[in-house]
Amino acid sequence: MSDMALQAATPTRLRLSVERYRGLLTAILVFLALFGIVNLVSPRPYSFFDFSYMSTGGCTLALAAIGGTLVILTGGFDLSVGAVISLVNVALASHMQAGVGSEFGWALAGLGIGAAGGAFNGVFVAVLRMQPIVVTLATMFIVQGVTLLVMPQPGGQIPPDFASFLTGSAIPDVLPAAIVILAIALLAWTALAHSRFGTSIYAVGSDKDAAAAAGIKVVPAEFGAYVLAGMMYGAAGVFVSAQTGSGDPLGGDPLLLQVFAAIVIGGTVFGGGRGGCLGSVFGSYSLLLIINILLILNVSAYYSTVVEGAILVLAALGVSLDRHSPVAQWLRRVSHRTQHSGGGGSSGPTRPLVFLAQPMAPTIRLPWWRRHAEDLRYALPAYACFVLVLVGTFFLFGGLSGGYVNSLLLLGSFLAILCLGQGAVILTGGLDLSLPWTIGLCGILLAGVVRGHPFEAAWAVPMVLAIGALIGLLNGLGIVLFALPPIVMTLAMNGILQGVAMVYSNGTPSGFAPPELLWLMTAHVEGITPELFLLAPFVIVAALLLSKTPFGRRVYAIGNSVRAARLSGVDVGRTTVLVYVLSGFCSAIVGVLLDGFSGQASLGMGDSYLLPSIAVVVVGGTLITGGRGSYFGMIGGVLLLTALQTLLAGTTLPDAMRQIIYGLVVLCAVVVLRERKGV
Amino acid sequence: MKHRTATLLGAFALGAALLLPAAAVAAKSKIYLSMSFIGNDWQAEAANMVKAMAAAPDMKDKVDLEVQVAGPNAQRQIQQINAMVQAGAKAIIVFPISPTALNQVVHHACEAGVLVIAYDGEITEPCAYNVHIDQHEAGRVTAEWLVKKMGGKGNLVVITGVPGTSVDLQRTQSAKEVFSKYPDIHIIAEGVGMWSQAVARTELTKILATHPWSEINGLWMQVGCYTAASMENGAGIPDDKLVPCAGEGSNGHRIQMLPVGDKQVQGARDTYRPMGESSISYASPPYSGALALKLAVEKLAGKSIPKFTKLPLPVVTNETVKLCQQGTWKEMQEGCNVFQPSIISNPGWFASIYSPETPEVGLHAALNGAPEKTAAK
Repeated sequence: MSDMALQAATPTRLRLSVERYRGLLTAILVFLALFGIVNLVSPRPYSFFDFSYMSTGGCTLALAAIGGTLVILTGGFDLSVGAVISLVNVALASHMQAGVGSEFGWALAGLGIGAAGGAFNGVFVAVLRMQPIVVTLATMFIVQGVTLLVMPQPGGQIPPDFASFLTGSAIPDVLPAAIVILAIALLAWTALAHSRFGTSIYAVGSDKDAAAAAGIKVVPAEFGAYVLAGMMYGAAGVFVSAQTGSGDPLGGDPLLLQVFAAIVIGGTVFGGGRGGCLGSVFGSYSLLLIINILLILNVSAYYSTVVEGAILVLAALGVSLDRHSPVAQWLRRVSHRTQHSGGGGSSGPTRPLVFLAQPMAPTIRLPWWRRHAEDLRYALPAYACFVLVLVGTFFLFGGLSGGYVNSLLLLGSFLAILCLGQGAVILTGGLDLSLPWTIGLCGILLAGVVRGHPFEAAWAVPMVLAIGALIGLLNGLGIVLFALPPIVMTLAMNGILQGVAMVYSNGTPSGFAPPELLWLMTAHVEGITPELFLLAPFVIVAALLLSKTPFGRRVYAIGNSVRAARLSGVDVGRTTVLVYVLSGFCSAIVGVLLDGFSGQASLGMGDSYLLPSIAVVVVGGTLITGGRGSYFGMIGGVLLLTALQTLLAGTTLPDAMRQIIYGLVVLCAVVVLRERKGV
Repeated sequence: MKHRTATLLGAFALGAALLLPAAAVAAKSKIYLSMSFIGNDWQAEAANMVKAMAAAPDMKDKVDLEVQVAGPNAQRQIQQINAMVQAGAKAIIVFPISPTALNQVVHHACEAGVLVIAYDGEITEPCAYNVHIDQHEAGRVTAEWLVKKMGGKGNLVVITGVPGTSVDLQRTQSAKEVFSKYPDIHIIAEGVGMWSQAVARTELTKILATHPWSEINGLWMQVGCYTAASMENGAGIPDDKLVPCAGEGSNGHRIQMLPVGDKQVQGARDTYRPMGESSISYASPPYSGALALKLAVEKLAGKSIPKFTKLPLPVVTNETVKLCQQGTWKEMQEGCNVFQPSIISNPGWFASIYSPETPEVGLHAALNGAPEKTAAK
């Protein structure tokens, strides 16, 4: 009897710990597989030199990813990674002198600068309870500006002995210094993870309210996580300084997306509470190995983003896919459905949901402003700041011409369209990072097939819009069927689309926008750009879509609580897919319009719209975790940011100052939106 | 110091002696090209011209060229250069993503006896060779031209490149030094153009919201004159009233500089047509990679080459702009510098492809990666 119990218990316990460390195990397996491939395709045996070079090459990313993991474990999000690394890099390159004192002092100062950046984030996120994504976005702009003030161009020098100390060997031919640094960081992490503070980080990330109720001090836990994360970015900045021997104000920028990818591959779950730093280190080195494999095989750079995207999805699947996975459930449901409703059941089950999702017939009808008091309160700050910017522009340039209004609306129209899709996605609690290359690919395809011929737009524009919707459909299906985190799915999709655009255009997009589009975006009818006549109905339809239709109500229901939405009969899967389809469709529209605006398509034409699309949604009063916000508010965000950029462009302020002002205004606009304490 | 030089010379002689038998057996040198992002016309043209150079009759028996692309990421380029050294490169031609970030890896490459030549951008590591134009000169010459056109007074709009890069800072600083000498010249707005026509249009649209065309007397832009002329055209400004513009060396811009009604131009369309725009066109020429390859081969054959090859600044004004019919190197040698829109459909394509040093490559090279047929002498 006791034997039997033992036999039963052992596999269960084993399974439990496998479940617990599933993400980490996946990360290690991915790493080992890639390592095996590298050795398989490499012409030479693996030597100490390779070991040393690899550990040094990936150390910057690994240190940054450890920091990023801490923030993500608390359920936060940090966009300031790359900017902080650059700042520390230029600070060291411009100040560090030869000599142990200066080298040690400035290395410590590097950690301190990072920690200060983290503390800045921490104050706004943990203490003032503001949304991490927009706080760290503002920090990113401010830090980038400060970096350019410290060092406007690449240069400076790191003492060679400092460089070789960090990038050389701790024990010659046995142990590279980079491994020692990472080991120290990971040991510190292990001690931390088992401390009271570590427990509170996981608890806060799992469920903030439950943690608070259980007596865990939420504010210090969150604040501490941001400060420690900043310190790790500082460490990454110190290391990259040693690695490159100099400073580059743009050096850290490309690390941002890589850090997220490393964390995902490392098995840490976006949203918080699950994962760890060891996995992220393996994730970082896996990314490095992918690059090495591509280099050895000399795979065209066109495909490298596709491969990286695919690995990202596979790693995330390793974590999310099991016998309870939605795919299995979905298959079960489909077979069930086809058995019982004879195949045409797709509309059957949704119909009652519409009624259920509608509010119970209100007995008392409140006045309009009372019913929308909540929306107005959250939308107000954006409009108030917008008015302030308008007043500033008025006095600075002595009036606001009709041309000003036209330019403002024309430039704002791209974001107004994008924020419908991105906003709907965010309202369900997701995020669409595939925007840049959905825009890019659609724009490139359109110009490529039309080649500037008139009347071709009649079929080409609908085709491109359908492709945008299809991209959204794929995003949605990945998220719903395979339970992939939206950030992972759309980030991977973005890389894949980039590869497709590269292969299609062979690196140089050709062709021209259809002349009709050129007219739409650049002509003047009584001083007004024709596109604006279409923008007005779009805004009205978009506002109604989110506020007055059953679809809109389901979106809000999902954002407030997936469980409650499902219980009240909302088809969560279908609505989620539709939201991403909408986002893909909106991105495609913008791709088409940008073609007309510029006359041509270019690679990277969508790059500068991703962060603003998120910023306007949040500045407009939307809650990044979903459920709260309005299209009316988002339009306020669009107007504010566009007017601010227009104001700054009309001056001769240096770019560094503009970035700082931009970041500060974004921060001020959302300060009033902070969650009330003790919700 | 003297002793060190002697040692170095000795080491060099030894190295040469070691290399000689190898060179006799396998005459082809393994040369790698490490590029940045392929995502723009300039990079694509430069890569085509390097490939064409490697395939030229004089070169193809000497060079075994392999091209790799690093994307916009300096970390990746570091990995890449290291892998190239490991794979036994004799020389590495680099488009450096950062002038400083590569210093360590380049230093290691040099120590391993690999020749490293950077084109267009600069690598500050002393052992690297560099091939590029003087960016200060580019800023100064174009600013001086513009000041003269504006008669030393008026309102100026500046569109810069990518902030945080040396090229942008050097060009902009030198230009502003010139402008600051003229108290009647006022820079009224400054936009960040990111070296992209599309971004230049967005920035100009913002600037025009507060400063209408009637207030602007001159434009200094790193990339964007073509876009500016197109926008003026859209705003109903006649060709003879276009604002003078100092800017990029794109084919579209140079076609716009041709006199209105030029009968020889074929395939013109919309604003990609002769407009008589008063302009100066300059460029970082895309042939620099091909020249770097040629220099590398010479160096490997034992010739000495300068540490810094300063390319002459390609400058075209309304007085010197001249249409090419075929675009052979020979024709360009005779002074033509802009190509038919019927051949170059993309106005953003870079037209500064002529160098007296590279008779192996002409228009065919920049477009298709094929060398000139008549290059062999």
